[in-house]
Amino acid sequence: MSVVVGYIPTPEGEAALERAIAEARNRQDRLVVINSSRGDAYVDQRFVQADGAEALARRLEAAGVDHVLLQPLRGHDAADEVLDAAESHGAGLIVIGLRRRTPVGKLIMGSTAQRILLQAECPVLAVKAAAG
Amino acid sequence: METFDLLMQGFSTAATPLNLLYAFIGVLLGTAVGVLPGIGPAMAVALLLPVTYGLEPTSAFIMFAGIYYGGMYGGSTTSILLNTPGESATVITAIEGHRMAKAGRAAQALATAAIGSFVAGTIGTALLVTFTPMVVDFAVSLGAPSYLAIMVLALLAVTAVLGSSKLRGFASLGLGLAIGLVGLDKVTGQQRLVFGQPLLVDGLDIVVVAVAIFAVGEALWIAAHLRRKPLSTIPVGRPWMGKQDWKRSWKPWLRGTAYGYPFGALPAGGAEVPTFLSYVTEKKLSKHPEEFGHGAIEGVAGPEAANNAAAAGTLTPMLALGLPTNATAAVMLAAFVQYGIQPGPLLFDNEPELVWALIASLFIGNTLLLLINLPLAPVWAKLLQLPRPYLYAGILFFATLGAYAVNLQAFDLVILLVLGLLGFAMRRYGLPVLPLIIGVILGPRAEEQLRKALQLSGGDVSGLWSEPIAVGVYIVAALVLAWPLLAFVLRKTRGPRPETAAADQPAAVPGTDLDAPAGGQNLRPVASPQDEHVDERIKERP
Amino acid sequence: MNQLVSRLKGRSELGLAALLGVVGAAVILDGLSLSVPYSQADPVGPKTMPFIVGGLLLVCAVLLAVNVLRGGQGEAESGEDVDLSHPTDWRTVVPLIGAFVLNIVLVDTVGWVISGTLLFWGSAWALGSRRYLRDAIIAVVLALGTFYGFYLGLGISLPAGLLQGVL
Repeated sequence: MSVVVGYIPTPEGEAALERAIAEARNRQDRLVVINSSRGDAYVDQRFVQADGAEALARRLEAAGVDHVLLQPLRGHDAADEVLDAAESHGAGLIVIGLRRRTPVGKLIMGSTAQRILLQAECPVLAVKAAAG
Repeated sequence: METFDLLMQGFSTAATPLNLLYAFIGVLLGTAVGVLPGIGPAMAVALLLPVTYGLEPTSAFIMFAGIYYGGMYGGSTTSILLNTPGESATVITAIEGHRMAKAGRAAQALATAAIGSFVAGTIGTALLVTFTPMVVDFAVSLGAPSYLAIMVLALLAVTAVLGSSKLRGFASLGLGLAIGLVGLDKVTGQQRLVFGQPLLVDGLDIVVVAVAIFAVGEALWIAAHLRRKPLSTIPVGRPWMGKQDWKRSWKPWLRGTAYGYPFGALPAGGAEVPTFLSYVTEKKLSKHPEEFGHGAIEGVAGPEAANNAAAAGTLTPMLALGLPTNATAAVMLAAFVQYGIQPGPLLFDNEPELVWALIASLFIGNTLLLLINLPLAPVWAKLLQLPRPYLYAGILFFATLGAYAVNLQAFDLVILLVLGLLGFAMRRYGLPVLPLIIGVILGPRAEEQLRKALQLSGGDVSGLWSEPIAVGVYIVAALVLAWPLLAFVLRKTRGPRPETAAADQPAAVPGTDLDAPAGGQNLRPVASPQDEHVDERIKERP
Repeated sequence: MNQLVSRLKGRSELGLAALLGVVGAAVILDGLSLSVPYSQADPVGPKTMPFIVGGLLLVCAVLLAVNVLRGGQGEAESGEDVDLSHPTDWRTVVPLIGAFVLNIVLVDTVGWVISGTLLFWGSAWALGSRRYLRDAIIAVVLALGTFYGFYLGLGISLPAGLLQGVL
């Protein structure tokens, strides 16, 4: 079993990661961190660059959980990548971050969180960013 | 004084609300394409050519001027925030600018780049106003033999100096000249390279050629090698500078301008060499040489100024002689032809309103750029998140639309595709595209001068060097061709000096054997022979 | 394997040399086919330039072939958005050209709005976009917008084709 978390360098992403670390530690499970990008834009601020990835790895190291950081660049949506990793790593829990969206934003962008919630085959824990 | 009056008239033409609107659209578009990867000012002007048919030429050129200067600004933004230079001429800016941004001084780097560009662009344009009429006065006295010589020099310089492989440069030039031959011979009415195709009798439309080479070829080439790993930009607020930054910036701005303008005005001088010279100079003169390589503001201020002054310099031969020396100038010249305006020294006499409005709009555009871009820098950075499929599909869509709208013939689209594939192959095999496009534009005009020159001499070949200026220009052309040999001999006799080795190397770019990609980014304002080199320098830093 | 790849690569560049040679020969042959009586007013005539250009191309073709055979290689153009570390991605380029050709075939019959929509949608698909609906909406908006923009703004009537009377 493992805990899969979709990570992006934003407050809600951080909140999800924090929670996922705690969950993995409690369950004595492996933590699978997914930071993916469709790679279809020149710049993707949600994709962690090399130095950020190193910092992330150190942080997970310090947290003392067995972990793996995946950064797939296969042109897939983040939801697909998280679901994919959940399946291949036998996830017992998926942790995702949520943020408030305007109705228009939901309409245009679809919702990664919604797809994960509906399609995941294991429990999904949705975390909001700490207020303030 | 006369020049001043004409310039004021130009301002009164350019400052009408409608033309100001076009200038505004131009600088916005220009900055956007400068920021966006894979699309540069030359492509933007080429794509806009068909759309501007319905406009007054003056309005169209005011817009193009905005795109031209805007592209420079946009390029510096990308290079500072991303470390991948948006324009080849901003490679140097990327070195120090990105270091500054990483050290949390992105706002200052952007500010010194923007204000420096404004200062250099304004002074450069003022130099343009001063020198261009002088060049014109000189040029109108020239006869056909001298003209031919100057054109030959321009063709040789662009072909032999820029890009790493002369051979491939000449191959590209040959293809361009061949494209220029298609159609009716103006003197005898003979059909050349028409192959019985009635649709080819009028020749290949220069718009179609430019769009094919710059837009279709480039889009296909990028599509074949899409960068899959996204980058991230350094977050930035509104650019600003402190007192200390101003103090450290103003001299590099002026020195950069002094380097940039003359190099830009030379055929094939380009913007790379002056930006590099400026960088080296600032490093030498700086009170903080230790900061270079870690984000020295002088290293951004000087090269950025040189870059923009060179852009102004490039317009001098373009307007005074009808000689394009970079891709954007080439496409703008194509636009003149499209409007039925004959480029060359007579342009100032025949179309004074257009020329002076264009020059005035350079001043206006420069000012608009400063006003717009200081507050908008964060917005421009967002533009980089545009999904690529839309960007390149959009380029193909508008390229097709433009080429089709010229004559409403599907046949033009076939030519567009064929030449687009040629552009793709050229990029694949390292043939620079600039000689091709300049060959297409200058080829027919050079032929005309050749025939005029020999007509005067009654067919005697010596008519080609019957004017002293022609002789002088041919000597210069021979020197340009023989330069690598000369440089080699000089280096042998002098021997390498270690302390200047670093400065010598890229500064010696013209015609040396630096193995940079041929015409790295010809799409951008200036072909870049040394892109790869500086890129390597950037990469080497930990 | 590596050797084979590099030899193939060299060979494909020979194709470029061949192309230069063919174009050069065509230019010269075409120049030869021109028949112009000598004229005092135009001693150079329409043939000279084709000979110069054709000659230049032929010389380049030969030199390029020699250069390639000796192991010379043109360096592919780099760029901001170009990653030369992976080989040419034909699975993107071929569908892209397909969309382009489709437009050439269709534009005169079905009209710009339909063919342009297909062009944009197809290109976006070829370039890896998989948001079919959003792509389609953008494509239709662009095609319709340019159709009316050119008609109203520039007075250029792009073909309406099948939608004649509807638009």
